[in-house]
Amino acid sequence: MLHEIPLYTISVEVNERTYTEKVPAQMTLLQFLRERLCLTGAKEGCGVGECGACTVLLNGKAVDACLVLAVEADQASVRTVEGEARDGELTLLQRAFIEHGAVQCGFCTSGMLLSAQSLLEKNPHPDQEEIVEAISGNLCRCTGYVQILEAIEAVALGREEGG
Amino acid sequence: MIRPFKYSKPRFLREALEALEKENTRALAGGSDLLVEMREGKSQPEHIVDVKAIPELSCFSIGKDGITIGGQLSLNELADSKELGQTCPILGDAVRTVATPQVRNRATLVGNLCTASPAADMAPPLFVLNAAVVVASKAGEQRIPIQRFFQGPKKNCLTPGQLVLRVEIPPCSSGRGVFMKKSRVQGHDLATINVAGWANPQDGSLRICIGACGPTPVLLTGSDELYQRAVSRDELLDGLAMLAQDQIAPIDDLRASAAYRRHLVTVFLGRMVRILFPEEGGTSRAS
Repeated sequence: MLHEIPLYTISVEVNERTYTEKVPAQMTLLQFLRERLCLTGAKEGCGVGECGACTVLLNGKAVDACLVLAVEADQASVRTVEGEARDGELTLLQRAFIEHGAVQCGFCTSGMLLSAQSLLEKNPHPDQEEIVEAISGNLCRCTGYVQILEAIEAVALGREEGG
Repeated sequence: MIRPFKYSKPRFLREALEALEKENTRALAGGSDLLVEMREGKSQPEHIVDVKAIPELSCFSIGKDGITIGGQLSLNELADSKELGQTCPILGDAVRTVATPQVRNRATLVGNLCTASPAADMAPPLFVLNAAVVVASKAGEQRIPIQRFFQGPKKNCLTPGQLVLRVEIPPCSSGRGVFMKKSRVQGHDLATINVAGWANPQDGSLRICIGACGPTPVLLTGSDELYQRAVSRDELLDGLAMLAQDQIAPIDDLRASAAYRRHLVTVFLGRMVRILFPEEGGTSRAS
C-alpha cells in the first residue's frame, strides 16, 4: 500500500477551455469531468466500458471516459456534451434528437450524441449500417434505438434544417 | 474504486523496462482490460507504467517482408488502415468484432494478446498467420512465437521486466483466410467461440485456430496432412471436424455450455471450409 497518495499535475483542454489541476493517478477522466469540473453530462452507467453512457471525445475520438485515467488526458483535448451547443444554439444533431423523440430518460443521450457526432465529422453521409456500428457501444434501454437512428439519419441525409 | 498507485509515462524504452522490473508494476497501453481488472480488485498494482510515449511501440508497417504492428497501435487504427485490410483481410475482419468503437479507440492489439484470454478475438488470426511477439527486456529483444506467448487462461509468458514491443506477421500474400466469431448478441459481446483458418495452396498448408474452446486458443495439429491427403472437400471437412473435436477442451460457462461449443466448432469448420475452398468437391491445390 502507498502511504501517501501521489498527485499529478495535468493540463487538459475541455470544451476549448484549459484546466490545470492536481489529480491522483487512480482518478478516471469521468470522475475528473464530473467531480472536478462539474460537467455531469457524461454519465457513469457500468464503469467497465460496456454501456457508453460516459462517451466523450478525446482528441476527436469517441472513448469511454470511465476507462481513461485523468492523468492519461494530460495535454489532450476533450469534448463533452456541454460543449456542443454554441451560444445557446443546439447542434443539428441535438435538434434532430428532440424532433425525432430520440430522448426518453436521457441517461444515454450525451454518449449517443458524441458517438454520432464523431461519426458525422469523419463521415458526413454514413449509411444505416455505419450509423448502427457507430452507436453500437452506446446502450439505450428506453427508445429501442429506432428514433435515435432516425435522428442521426436525418442529419446524415441533410434533412435537418441548415444541414 | 481503484486503489491508489504511482503513475509514470517514460519516453525511453530503457526507463520503462527498468520500472517494469519492480514488483507489482503493470504496463498500461489502452487500459480497457487493466483498468477494469483494477476496478474489480483483481489487479492491485502499486505502479503503472504508461507505455504510450515510447517510440519503439509506435511502429506500423506493411510490406513485402510482412506486417509489423507496434504495442501502442489501437484496434481502430488497424481497422481504419485500408492497406492492412487489402493485404490481410482476416486481421481487419477480426478487429471489427472486438468490443465497441469506444473501446477500439483505446484498446491495442498487443494488449488483447497480453490479457491472454482464451477468447481473445485477435488470437486466432495471428495463430494461423504464424505471428510472433517481439519482447524487450534489459537483456535485449526476444522473438516469441504466438503459440508460446499464450500459457493458460489469462496467462502470458512475460516475466517482470519484459515488455511487448510489437507483433510481427510473416508475408501473407499467397494464401486465403477466414475469421468467424459467434457471440450471444449481434452487438458488443465476447466470443462464445471464434475461429480462423488460413489455406495456402502453394505450400499445401492449412492452419486452423479455435478460440474459447480450451485454456488457450487451439491451433489444430494435423490439418496440413489432411489438406494434402483429402480427395474431396467433404473428406477434408470430416477429417477436420474429428481433429478439432479431439483437440479442443471447452468448458461450460456463462456464455455457452461445452456441448454447444463443440457443436458450434463443427458448424463453423463447415462454413470455413466452404469459403476457403469454394469449389464443390475440390480442395485442389492447383486452383
